Amino acid sequence: MIQKQNSPIQRGWLRRNALPLLLFAFLVLFPFIVGAITDSSPYGVVRGDRMIMRGESVRWQSVLIEAYILIILAMSYNLLFGFTGVISFGHALFFGTSGYVLGLMLEYTAIDTTLALFVGAALGIVLCGVLALVIGFVTLRLKGVYFAIFTLAVAEMFYIFFSRWQLTRAEDGFAITELPAWLDPSQSRINFYYLSLAAVILTFVFIRRLVNSPSGAVFKAIRENEDRAQSMGYNTLNYKLLSIMFAGMLAGVAGLLQVILNKKVGPELLGVSYTVDPLLMTIIGGIGTFTGPVIGAGGLHFLDVFLRDAQINLGGVVIDIANIWALLLGVIFILAVIVFPFGIVGTWQRWQARRHRHPEKPLPDAAAGQD
Amino acid sequence: MTDALLSARGLRKTFGGLVAVDDVSIEIAAGMTHSIIGPNGAGKTTLFNLLTGRYHPTRGVVVYKGRDITALPVYKRAHLGIGRSFQITNLFPNLTVLENARLAAQALGKDNFRIFRLATSFDSYIRRAYEVLEITGLREVAALPANTLPHGGKRKLELAMILACDPELLLLDEPTAGMASEQVPELIQIIDRIREQGAKTIVMVEHNMSVVMNISDRITVMHQGRVLAEGDPRQIAADRMVQAVYLGELYDLPKGESA
Ligand SMILES: Nc1ncnc2c1ncn2[C@@H]1O[C@H](COP(=O)(O)OP(=O)(O)O)[C@@H](O)[C@H]1O
Ligand SMILES: [Mg+2]
Repeated sequence: MIQKQNSPIQRGWLRRNALPLLLFAFLVLFPFIVGAITDSSPYGVVRGDRMIMRGESVRWQSVLIEAYILIILAMSYNLLFGFTGVISFGHALFFGTSGYVLGLMLEYTAIDTTLALFVGAALGIVLCGVLALVIGFVTLRLKGVYFAIFTLAVAEMFYIFFSRWQLTRAEDGFAITELPAWLDPSQSRINFYYLSLAAVILTFVFIRRLVNSPSGAVFKAIRENEDRAQSMGYNTLNYKLLSIMFAGMLAGVAGLLQVILNKKVGPELLGVSYTVDPLLMTIIGGIGTFTGPVIGAGGLHFLDVFLRDAQINLGGVVIDIANIWALLLGVIFILAVIVFPFGIVGTWQRWQARRHRHPEKPLPDAAAGQD
Repeated sequence: MTDALLSARGLRKTFGGLVAVDDVSIEIAAGMTHSIIGPNGAGKTTLFNLLTGRYHPTRGVVVYKGRDITALPVYKRAHLGIGRSFQITNLFPNLTVLENARLAAQALGKDNFRIFRLATSFDSYIRRAYEVLEITGLREVAALPANTLPHGGKRKLELAMILACDPELLLLDEPTAGMASEQVPELIQIIDRIREQGAKTIVMVEHNMSVVMNISDRITVMHQGRVLAEGDPRQIAADRMVQAVYLGELYDLPKGESA
């Protein structure tokens, strides 16, 4: 009886969320689907008494894990930039900081590996939050550009410090050799795949929840018109601090995953590309939309993967795409911005809104999306 | 006057060499509608910015309910009950009309950091938002982005937002700015309704003299950053200096009222 009453509602919910649910199911089954198609084991290849991470399924798991990491980074950037309107040029700072904390914990302390993992991860994320609050507290009162420059300066400072610090082997960085077997991507890729999938989904849900909360409403108000928000009684600094704190911590989560996946810690984690990439990915996908960073980061990563080893033949001259990837990325970015002035998702939403609205009513014309 | 809700003494504000507000003292009595008039550039908006804390004065003090608030930031003054609307439309352009009003209703509440609840789950703010949209005649367009409203609609939303905050003291900076004259009465009606609800003190900058003369209990005339005259509407209308500087032939007293 009760089930019968509920079922139409449940069916409605199912239908409304059909696409995300299908995508979720696909991503959960992904290692097995690829495994079935390519006739490879999602668990790797048995070699004596251990598993070797070889085969198409395992390789593709890595590709997706890399995408998940970039998506988390882009989503965290979008929380600050797209929803709160604060432009940071130092996002890599958080990505690298948590990575170094975890690496130092695992490799430079004598405590039990599993304990070091959890303590390192927690400490890394907390430190990112604290760092974000400190930077925010000192500089968020500044106007946009000054804040952006300051974050760039701090990130560069960390980059220079870690590329000189002998303890962490300066520019070379150090390898992660101690990981619990269940997490180690070179012993069980699939476990780490599911962990990363969980992280990306939780981050997505968390950000959507936060943005739709009363605080998130104020984030958007600040993005739209900080001055007005203040005159209504909002102490906007507090909300910007909240936003940068969560953005920093989530970027830290991405950094942890990156370090575990590559089993390596080095100053490149603090490099400017981990700031610029999420910025570009967010803009291409659609700033201030929930799915924009997912599509932007996922899309660019897959382009990168497919084109990485490709070559083009220009009248007998063979060019490796890998060598001109940065150039290509620039061209893609310019084209994307011309074709999708509000990002892929933002432009699509506007197009939808236009279809569903009376033609005589005017259209939104400013830069940010509606969700 | 000792029962002033808001008062300013010796306010001065300079921008570089320009003196925008020059030694202005003003007392706003509780429950009154107090208009500030004067030609463009007289310093009216700057005075509002000083009273609300958007600018800090070069000199002088601002006192609200007997408390010196000169150093208080904008948002804290809002919490004390000072609300303002803007001469130049100042909305959240890409958010819906409803969301603009809802943000105003939520602003002074205690739920702003409840990050694990949905903003839309707080019924009281939504109800309040719909209420003020009803009052301002914007209910039908609640779901549209604010920047898609025509100019008159944006001016109404300005008022709706300050209403949703429900301040004790309302500073309205040219609420009818840029509106077509046939739309003005509708807006004045809204302001009248606010006044009728009582317990509200209104400070208003307005250029429409018939509105000012009808609505005001008291009028302050500013000119070149200074207070030129102050009095009730009849006194101001009769003031020769005011006539010369500002009113000129722009305004004749309604028939039968001329002194
Ligand atoms: N932020 C500012 N920077 C420089 N000058 C300003 C600023 N705000 C106002 N002014 C100047 O102060 C004077 C008074 O302006 P305002 O207060 O806007 O006058 P009103 O509102 O009476 O028309 C004008 O000369 C204006 O140009
Ligand atoms: Mg003005």
